[in-house]
Amino acid sequence: MTAAIELDQMIVNIAAIMIEELKLEDVTPETFDPEIDLVDEVGIDSMDLATVALVLRDKYAVRIDEDDYPKLTTLRLISEYIHRKLADRG
Amino acid sequence: MKPWKFADLIADPAVKSRWERVRRYFFLRESTYDMTRRCNIRCEGCYYFEGEKQHAAELGDPEAWRALMRAERERGITYVVLAGAEPSLVPDLLQVCYQEMPLGAIATNGIQRIPESVGYKIHLSVWGNDETSGRIRKAKHMLARQIENYQGDPRAVFVYTFTPHNIAEAGEVAEILSRQGCKLTFNMFSAPVGYAGALRHTPDSLTQTRQAMCDLLARYPQHVLFSTYNAVAHTHRLGLHDLFGCAYPRRNPSTDLGLGRSFRQYRTDLNWDREAACCVPDTDCADCRHYAAGSAVVPARLFRHAVDPDTFNSWLDYVDTYLAVWVMGYEKGANLCNTVVAPPGFGID
Repeated sequence: MTAAIELDQMIVNIAAIMIEELKLEDVTPETFDPEIDLVDEVGIDSMDLATVALVLRDKYAVRIDEDDYPKLTTLRLISEYIHRKLADRG
Repeated sequence: MKPWKFADLIADPAVKSRWERVRRYFFLRESTYDMTRRCNIRCEGCYYFEGEKQHAAELGDPEAWRALMRAERERGITYVVLAGAEPSLVPDLLQVCYQEMPLGAIATNGIQRIPESVGYKIHLSVWGNDETSGRIRKAKHMLARQIENYQGDPRAVFVYTFTPHNIAEAGEVAEILSRQGCKLTFNMFSAPVGYAGALRHTPDSLTQTRQAMCDLLARYPQHVLFSTYNAVAHTHRLGLHDLFGCAYPRRNPSTDLGLGRSFRQYRTDLNWDREAACCVPDTDCADCRHYAAGSAVVPARLFRHAVDPDTFNSWLDYVDTYLAVWVMGYEKGANLCNTVVAPPGFGID
């Protein structure tokens, strides 16, 4: 599987987690826009991101540093962050 | 040691239930507002009468406040804290705020009763027994008057501020309040910038205060809204900023997320200054153990507390306490962890 396909699949997987954890309505993992601004347009905030970060830690064994939350404002940025950390780990 | 998974931390049904209960309030986004420059008493060490904010003009126009509340709602604020100098002196403004923003709290000395139509939590400041209040606040029979005004009122929480000199009196005050069926929580005197008076805590007074808090929590569990972890977090030799990293704009340059993005502290002229924006402006950050600061700063550190059951349950107790103190209708549950747990990355004292 290429890195691009892996990332695309990861975006869908993380979208599913966010929908489940944040109880988002009117969106599916496949229709979740990875570029949408989670703070400005979805209305999630630091506590929501912390919750998602804990579930992602369970799933991928990757730690999202608290200082990095402000940078992770879209589904794509979160997915790339996880993807990069996994790649760095080999 | 293998790290705990979050799913395992919330596997216990009691913990899961508490987690689900508190997370329903993650939507709260606060800002604070000075309502008037006036007060009917003058207390030693009062935060309001420190720094520049006391000199702001007073804009007492109810329609200006209504417009402000609507604008606040538009930018995502869901919770207001109405304070300084004495909000009970401007009941018409409180009413306007409540009409526009249904969740909030008012910090008052309790001498003048706030109309029941203002459905916010009401925090009544208590600085010791009536003898001590008479000396520090120059007001007679404070506790008796506060109880008379607010006994049986579900909005009311009495906030006992520990100084190095009133630790022993807390038992007497807690006994009186619990006998009257009143709810009580604890605050720590946190020195304003440049404060050189005798109310600043010392290592000894921090130790004694922690013990007093835990004793009173054990003695009056139905009336004291607190947890063991609250006691640890607020009586540590390090202040809240050093322990948890204060997220208020005054100490947090990030404007992307959380308090750094949304919090403002409005003065009586309805202006605000990012450089001074925190829940209790003009507090010396190194000495800040204020209950309002902790209520924002500790809950925000969810991730770092999700490391083992005791630490996570302590965090849940803290958030449960915060919600019971600040949100109308939220009833505190039994604490999940009664052992002393250190803040992540630090010792217990």
